[in-house]
Amino acid sequence: MSADNVRKLDPLDHKIINVLSKDARVSNRRIALQLGVTEGTIRGRIKRLEETHAIRMTAVTSTHLAHSLRPVLIGIEANHAEIKALCQKLAAMPEIRCVIRMLGRYDLLAIGLFESLEEIAQIANNRILALPGVRHVETSIAVKTLKYDHRVAKITSNWRHSK
Amino acid sequence: MAAPIKVDEIQLDDTDQQIITLLKADGRATNQDIAKKLNIGATTVSARIRRLERARALRVVAVSDFSALDLNVLLAVGIEVEGRPAEDVGADLAQFPEVFGVHLVTGARDIEALVAVQDLAALKVFMERDIVKVKGIRRMTAGIAVDIVKFNFDMAPIA
Repeated sequence: MSADNVRKLDPLDHKIINVLSKDARVSNRRIALQLGVTEGTIRGRIKRLEETHAIRMTAVTSTHLAHSLRPVLIGIEANHAEIKALCQKLAAMPEIRCVIRMLGRYDLLAIGLFESLEEIAQIANNRILALPGVRHVETSIAVKTLKYDHRVAKITSNWRHSK
Repeated sequence: MAAPIKVDEIQLDDTDQQIITLLKADGRATNQDIAKKLNIGATTVSARIRRLERARALRVVAVSDFSALDLNVLLAVGIEVEGRPAEDVGADLAQFPEVFGVHLVTGARDIEALVAVQDLAALKVFMERDIVKVKGIRRMTAGIAVDIVKFNFDMAPIA
């Protein structure tokens, strides 16, 4: 993972992030009071953190809303020459939330959120398995999530564009 | 005050959805900004956000890039469990800050964990100090992330 354009953060940046990672809607004024700096400093820091894609202020909705969405981890073995194109095809699927190129147990890990077993079969067992370059697919359905920290992520270009 | 509604019981109307869409684009958009765009009152906006947050349907947060937190090594670890309920092993793992995701899964493995550490030295410490204490781990199979192509978790289980 490259650091891209994320610069080294100082202790004040981390304190601001810590406040905002609990609730992004706290006012600059309140953060300033809490951390003992000026409102202008807070405004400037937040602007820079957002511009360098160190953080992104966003709404995270529950996977239990409406139809419960089930996380599914799809490990993919693939022909190395075709992996780049394959990544783009996987990333373009709206149900697939995460595509990671890996070294080790799989060549690619795709994590999806699915509404039903039928949908899992349709996408993992049928669509992904039939993509050019895919040699083997291993599907693990999450039957229970004990922890998921939604406050860390890779702020990728796909995400930037969706803004 | 009425008891908070549970997330699977909450009904979202069009206005809720529109507020969420605007907050996904900019979590710091003010109630006034949102109100103006949707042609409703600012107090309505704030009340609706509060209702969704209370029901654990919504969190408006700063999401940090792994690299901003100096987490440069990301691993997906499949774990086989022996002689202990997988849920207990998973609960032990969930306590470590290095572990940002723990799922009980179907298939060859019992647990899938997502781990993020600063570097390989930090991974060594994590293995020797923390993982070694967790009873019931039979085998771990790891993959190391070399490129994150897509990472979009604006939907997540909210604890």
